[in-house]
Amino acid sequence: MESSVVAEQLVKTFVVTSGWGRGRTRREVVAVDGISLDIPAGQAVAFIGPNGAGKSTTIKMLTGILHPTSGSARVLGYTPWRERRELVRHIGAVFGQRSQLWYHLPPRDTFELLARIYELDRPTYLRRRDMLIERFGIGPFLTTPVRKLSLGQRMRAEVAASLLHGPKVLFLDEPTIGLDVVARQELRDLISSWNRDEGMTVFLTSHDAGDVERVARRAIVINHGRVVFDDKVSALRREYLAAKILSVKFQAPVAPIELPGVTTLKATEYALKLEVDTRVTPIERVMSAVLRAGPVADIAIEDPPLEEVIAHIYSRGAPQAPEEVTTP
Amino acid sequence: MIATRKYAWLGLTSARSNLAYLAEVAARTLFLGVILFIFLQLWRATYAESGAERLGGLTLPQMLWYLAITEAIILSAPRVSHEVDQEVRTGALAVQLVRPLSYPLARLGMTLGERLVRFALNAGVGALVALVLVGPVPIAPQGLAMFAAALLGAFVLDFLALFLVGLGAFWMEDTSGLALIYSRLTMILGGMLLPLELFPEAVQPLLRALPFAGIVYGPARLFVRPDAAFLADLLVRQGVAVAVFALAVAAVYRAGIGRIHANGG
Repeated sequence: MESSVVAEQLVKTFVVTSGWGRGRTRREVVAVDGISLDIPAGQAVAFIGPNGAGKSTTIKMLTGILHPTSGSARVLGYTPWRERRELVRHIGAVFGQRSQLWYHLPPRDTFELLARIYELDRPTYLRRRDMLIERFGIGPFLTTPVRKLSLGQRMRAEVAASLLHGPKVLFLDEPTIGLDVVARQELRDLISSWNRDEGMTVFLTSHDAGDVERVARRAIVINHGRVVFDDKVSALRREYLAAKILSVKFQAPVAPIELPGVTTLKATEYALKLEVDTRVTPIERVMSAVLRAGPVADIAIEDPPLEEVIAHIYSRGAPQAPEEVTTP
Repeated sequence: MIATRKYAWLGLTSARSNLAYLAEVAARTLFLGVILFIFLQLWRATYAESGAERLGGLTLPQMLWYLAITEAIILSAPRVSHEVDQEVRTGALAVQLVRPLSYPLARLGMTLGERLVRFALNAGVGALVALVLVGPVPIAPQGLAMFAAALLGAFVLDFLALFLVGLGAFWMEDTSGLALIYSRLTMILGGMLLPLELFPEAVQPLLRALPFAGIVYGPARLFVRPDAAFLADLLVRQGVAVAVFALAVAAVYRAGIGRIHANGG
């Protein structure tokens, strides 16, 4: 299948200087240390790693904002840092913490502006706008100033705005940050179905394991500027996301719960925090044991934080990126 | 042509965004009424004391109208340097770079849109106050056209200077000090309170040569005393300053973009 993003041995170092005069020191920091990727057209990839791992720097190189120190990359056939102006017409970007919508104006006005920025002809613009309004359910708040929208509505409009010009690759940086459970799920489903139906390549960075599982088919984990895992999300899930964190509050004191594959992370008289290895004991069995242990006041099941998943990858000896990855 | 249209549309969108909270912007113009009233009293005393009908070539009503225009220009200055500073510092600039736009031109479009709304509002209030306090001054359509041309040059020049200050964030911890110095220089050396003719004769040529006069004094002077020769001279001065600042912006922007990695996000 045709590749939409290819990077070979991308390296980015920069110099940090500190102090003044004779005490001035120069230190070279390696932000990206030889990253190679090959993402086929239409694939949804999660690009994950802890803060400072080099995600942002890699994305900036792939979108043409930064020149690499060495290595090469082609995005949709363009060399990003040499042909940024041509490339950006064919890519979209959503930054969860940075809005492209005009705060005091309704989403409709931002759509009109984007139509001019991307030089869309009127019929194409109207057709795509109407399709996005319908698919993303924006109609009810299309003419409401953005400042009056909920965060969930705003993010739906945000993603729709980034799709208006029909990008072939969409970069999503923490798109669900701050959203509640329902809004988060809605947005994941919308992105996922757009990827499936339109064949658009999705390049997602997120700290939320749920985003990765629901949106992406392939996960690339980076740390210290290097790829430490590159495989299907199902493999990541099987290997590293099998653990669930179960937090329970009881109405009466309870005894500890002992089951194979269940580790007690924290226990007080009225509360338990358990890590459950679902490959050993299914979560349903643990839930039954919890309900039998005493009257439950509150219960929550969470994924372990991605930072923990990455720590696990390291503790198991950092598997290398495989040569080939199955595409969806 | 299409390229120009996108920046014009950015200006229009920016203007509409500013109209959305017009009441808040209008509240700030109350300040203008107070300033004009105080300065009218000061100028009245000065004219009476000197016994002259004209000071610096302007009658008392013309002086108050001059002040109304200079104040409207100064008070309508958008926070470009602060916004650019923040975009550079937080890495939000990267968001702008993934669209088919020139960042400096996009900022120019947005700033002009915002400034026109704010200037129109300030000038409207200023004109109303001046009308009530000293009555009208003769204004011809030709004079208004000259004023509009000079004002456009002034706004572009002011934008370039403010943008340049904001780009300082690529190297400096904080550009607000620089922005403060620039705004005070514009007020004092630009002739916000006094037309350049009232400055000591020795410094007048220098003040006319500086870009500040092209932003404040030039347009306001044309408004109260339209003069084709004055306009031609002003446009040349503005043009030279715009060219110099545009070159500086291009050089600094290019150097700054190379440092974008150091600024997070």
